[in-house]
This record gives sequence, C-alpha cells and structure tokens, in this order.
Amino acid sequence: MMGKNLRIKAARAAKDMTQKDLADAVGVARQTMNAIEKGDYNPSINLCIAICKVLDKTLDQLFWEGNEYENQ
Amino acid sequence: MKINKSALDEMQTERRNHIGNQMFLLTFYLLLLDAGLYGMGIRWLEYPVNSMVIIILSMSIYLVRTIAANAYLPPKADSKKTVASLLIAIGCSVALAAAVFFFFKNSSAPFFAQAANEHSALILFLVSVVGLLLSLIAAIIRKRNDKNDSDD
Repeated sequence: MMGKNLRIKAARAAKDMTQKDLADAVGVARQTMNAIEKGDYNPSINLCIAICKVLDKTLDQLFWEGNEYENQ
Repeated sequence: MKINKSALDEMQTERRNHIGNQMFLLTFYLLLLDAGLYGMGIRWLEYPVNSMVIIILSMSIYLVRTIAANAYLPPKADSKKTVASLLIAIGCSVALAAAVFFFFKNSSAPFFAQAANEHSALILFLVSVVGLLLSLIAAIIRKRNDKNDSDD
C-alpha cells in the first residue's frame, strides 16, 4: 500500500477545489479521488495525466516519490 | 486519452471485476458442493429450487458487495434518473408478470419445470423478500459510506 498523496491535496486546495470538483473535472467518482489521495488506489497513467492537467502540475510534481519535487 | 464519464471509472471497474470473479468462483464451488451432496443422496432442496437458491445467494452477495465498494453506479449517475429508472423497472416487472399470468394461465405447456411450479409461490415470495432486503442493505451501506468517506 502506498502512503498518502498530500501533494494532490495541497494542489487541489491551492486551486480551491474540493475532491468532488476535481473528481468531476477528471471524470471519476469522488470516492476514487479520495482513495487516490489516501493512497488506497494506484491510478492509471491516463488518470494521473488528467489530474495533472486540471491542477496545472506535472506528473513529477504530483506523483514522483522524491524530495526534489515536494516543495514545487 | 479521453475518460468516459458516463461509464464506471477505472477503480470501480477494477473492484467490480474483482468481486465478480470471486462470486463466480463462489457460485461454481457451491454448485459443485450441491452436486456432491446430491451424489451422496443428500437433497437439501428439490432440483430447480436448490440451483436458484445458490444463484440468488451469489448474486445477492455480488450486488451488496458491489454497492458497498461504490462500483454499482457510474460517477455521473443522477439520483433522479436512478429513481426514474427504478420506477420504470418496477412498472415493467409488474406488466411482464401480468402478461405472463394472462397469456400462460390456461396453457398446458410446462413453462419452467414441474417441481418449480409446485414451489412457484414460495420462490416468488423469496425473490421479493430477498429483493426488499437487498434494497434495505444497499441503502444502509450507501448512507454509511457517505458518512465515513468524507471530503478531508
């Protein structure tokens, strides 16, 4: 199981979006978005790209596990 | 790639497939067990009813688990549409049952099986009760999921 993805949550909060807003924007259920943020579900690359596009971030900034992208 | 918003999303599809595979195996093993018991001379229910009970049991578990995993309706499903479709389904079921009763009332042809005909009232009652129970369980699960799964 992965850890929590706090970067998605932070990027979402920066855009003043709720989980439901983001889920609607990328075309998934709110529960799916919740599971991704909690690290309970590993999304496909297509869904990752859709999330990145909506949040104006790169894949590295949201999904790459490393310190260099944590503060971007 | 465009994400289809009117179908189940990828997590829902994955969960539904997972549950479906498990329930398929459950049905298979229960039917195998039933056949084994039948071979040993143990008849816990008459022929068509035993298979129906096993299938209804597996399908009920599948349905409840699918709803509990939020893999029953697609993300874009509108609750008004769901209620409307439920009402249409109920109306169609009643019309179908009335039509079957009307057209086959005096028919001499066996339309299911003789043994099933003897228990048809019981089967109909059981199916209705199971359906009502499932609706109740599904409603409870949905409410519980909405409470637990808050937007944090």
